[in-house]
Amino acid sequence: MRADLRTLAGLALAGFLVLPLIPLVGWSVAQGWRFPDLLPDRISAQAWTFALSPQSGVLASFATTTLIAATTTLLAILIGLPAGRALGMYRFRGRSLVLLLLLAPALLPGIAVVFGLHGMMLRLGLAGTIPGVILAHLVPVLPYMTLVMAAVFARFDPAFEDQARSLGATPWQTFRTVTLPAILPGLMIAALFAFLVSWSQYLLTLSIGGGRVQTLPLLLFSFASAGRNDITAAIALLYILPGLLILAVIARRITGRGAALTERLHP
Amino acid sequence: MTRLSLHGLRKTYPGTGQAAVHGIDLTVESGSLTALLGPSGCGKTTTMKLIAGLIAPDAGEVRLDASPITALPPERRGVTMVFQDPLLFPHQTIAQNIGFGLRMRGLPPARIAESVAAMLSRVRLDGLGDRRPAALSGGQQQRAALARALVLQPRVLLLDEPLSNLDPGLRDEMRQLIRSLQQETGITTIVVTHDQAEAVALADQIVLILEGRLAQQGPPDALYRRPAALAVARFFGGVNFLPGRSQGGLFHSAVGPLTLPPGAPEGDHVLTLRPEALRLGPGPNPRTARITSVTFLGTQTRVGLAVDGTALQALTTPDLASALVPGGEVTVSLPPEALWLLPPEATLSDPGQPIR
Amino acid sequence: MTDRTRLALLLAPALLVLGGLFLTGLGLTLLRSFRYMPALGLTDPDLSAYVAILTAPGFLTSLTLSLWIATTSTLIAATLALATALLLRQTFPGRAIISFLVQLNLTIPHIVGAIGILYLFSQSGSFARLAHAAGLIATPAQFPILTQDPTGIGIILLYVWKELPFITLILLANMQALGDDHESVARSLGASRWQAFRHVLLPMLMPGLLAASTLVFAFAFGAYEVPLILGAHAPKALPVLAWQASTDTDLATRPEAMAMAVVIALIGVALLALYARALAKGGSGAR
Repeated sequence: MRADLRTLAGLALAGFLVLPLIPLVGWSVAQGWRFPDLLPDRISAQAWTFALSPQSGVLASFATTTLIAATTTLLAILIGLPAGRALGMYRFRGRSLVLLLLLAPALLPGIAVVFGLHGMMLRLGLAGTIPGVILAHLVPVLPYMTLVMAAVFARFDPAFEDQARSLGATPWQTFRTVTLPAILPGLMIAALFAFLVSWSQYLLTLSIGGGRVQTLPLLLFSFASAGRNDITAAIALLYILPGLLILAVIARRITGRGAALTERLHP
Repeated sequence: MTRLSLHGLRKTYPGTGQAAVHGIDLTVESGSLTALLGPSGCGKTTTMKLIAGLIAPDAGEVRLDASPITALPPERRGVTMVFQDPLLFPHQTIAQNIGFGLRMRGLPPARIAESVAAMLSRVRLDGLGDRRPAALSGGQQQRAALARALVLQPRVLLLDEPLSNLDPGLRDEMRQLIRSLQQETGITTIVVTHDQAEAVALADQIVLILEGRLAQQGPPDALYRRPAALAVARFFGGVNFLPGRSQGGLFHSAVGPLTLPPGAPEGDHVLTLRPEALRLGPGPNPRTARITSVTFLGTQTRVGLAVDGTALQALTTPDLASALVPGGEVTVSLPPEALWLLPPEATLSDPGQPIR
Repeated sequence: MTDRTRLALLLAPALLVLGGLFLTGLGLTLLRSFRYMPALGLTDPDLSAYVAILTAPGFLTSLTLSLWIATTSTLIAATLALATALLLRQTFPGRAIISFLVQLNLTIPHIVGAIGILYLFSQSGSFARLAHAAGLIATPAQFPILTQDPTGIGIILLYVWKELPFITLILLANMQALGDDHESVARSLGASRWQAFRHVLLPMLMPGLLAASTLVFAFAFGAYEVPLILGAHAPKALPVLAWQASTDTDLATRPEAMAMAVVIALIGVALLALYARALAKGGSGAR
């Protein structure tokens, strides 16, 4: 294919990729935009002003969503890092069984577990609470974190740890000064994407939160079904903001070697 | 100055069922430079890791002087191991790498900086302290790894194949550096290697490990000329083996009776003679040999011989071999002082008797 | 500490949390699908919920719709992703921007994309307005029904848009790991560009492509929020049907919701087996 044809194909692809975002940008600043007008009657900050005002609840919801995603990520690191180490650095009997248990939540639709999970949370008194939602989010997030960390640890040479120990480092010193710096880039990417996986959850939050935990996607949906296109669009754009920031942070790392890490990202 | 001793050290890796180290008893004298020699997979690295405390033995004990250290974690043993790969921490500069162990001990930064600077210059890495490991050549990385261990002044220093990752030209340099540093510091040092030539050139003592067992220990010369067992002789490049019987100072074998050196043991033995000791030309124990092959090896020439149907090999200088052609005949002699008797069924746990 | 103890300690928290949440969730769903709910006085398990959903026409229609959506989306997304990956492997002006957009798309939640697709393709959406401006239609009703339609066109559009970049990134990672030596060898052995692709590169990419496609299929089959926004009132995609049965005021339909969830899970398990096979076949890059 000639270079200009490639560029043409690339342009078509780029258009396709940004296309669904264009009406969102338009609607978020539109005031009155009836069929068949190609452009809104007026450009206004009305939707944004409302979305950012206290009475819309968007900012509170943003905070709730952030809290849930950040806590879920932190827990997933604490639990998934050791498990990823075991899976990445050791070959043991039952390893494939553990991998299967990790892959299952990634592959089985949320609807398959959500009913039973809700029953369990009711029993535990966690239904309708933020801790309950966080625990539920661990179901898709923890496997993601563990599998990515397993891939990261598989590339880590354990001889570095032996070397550090032999040079007089205690186990904790070894982890802090040798292991952690080596796995940190991978851990960063895993954590940011784990955050996004939790950030994108809809059904688990809806079910376990029982309407009392209002994360952004829930709020987004209720405005969308109320037909408020302008506010919906403004919230949608707010909602994708963290993803854009995260992408900006790791844009360089995600290509090439890091691309393998993104493969698990499937909110 | 520390003497290291291993007592019945044994290690089996789970799942393999086969012992990697079979009950090794060994003493490494204080201040010596000892080569732990053996083919790949013989248990050398496992032995090193047992000494360093990186793995735990199934049985046995490691002692420094008189005190057992088997139960101590690696960081409290005073034993430092340098791995085959330099394993410099990639996120630290060379100076930070060399100062690593001192930082772990919590020494004040000024003292660390001082020790590191002295060490950098000692291994000829002056001015490279601020570089990252990736910016250094393989030889420089290996020297930095050595410096990182030496700066701790360990009681025992373990070097795992320190020369194997280097180009031939750099090996000699590194070998001399290790020798001179060891002599300067007097640190009891063990070097693991699979290369007998390297062991002979580097160490004052060689410990030969075969199949997880101690095969022979002694100065290089002794293992080379007076192997304790067939396997030892083979490992050191022995090729001439004649089974037979020693009786009254004569060895009766397929090539006829050979005069033995005085004091040779009696009975069934395998006679061995190093190829370079087999002389082309008349002398004691002369035989007529047919030349089966002549292979030019550079500084030496290998001559394949057949004496009464028994194959023997000689190594000689290219000058002396220039007149030899395959198919021709030549008189060879087997000097009695170069003949060495091995027990016929020598096993590793039952080393052969020396005959002089 | 032995290796075994260390391994157990490293794995225990993850296994406890996942086992506790995921397996218990799955197990409870299964029990309830057999109408075993002691809290409601149901203590004799039976299969009547399964009988009920299999005899009701709605379930099979929804199952067919969900399978149709998942299959079509996966096939289209996988094919386009292969072409995109091949394109992005070349150098051309603007390649960096496209690569960035591909990654950008990965971070956008499905629900946002679904709303975007709705605003683009609905009968009063951007394209309908463009059609009007071009004089092709006079009223919204004349614009073809592309969203909230019974055949799931809008849903498929969304999945293609969202999953194309996902598969592309996996393929690019695989291509990078493979290098182009194999193709060069094929070319030097007389293969044309197409033959080198068809007989050398494609077979080597296949495990990764299969694994990625399985993930996409599983998601497209089981996701709830996308058909909720872009799906028609009838027939509903299976996850939507199951969720609505579970929130029905009539408690008797709950076991039916559970039974539907179990059917969805079973199809998921079958996919899991496929995925494991695709991985075992050698797609190391497909991790």
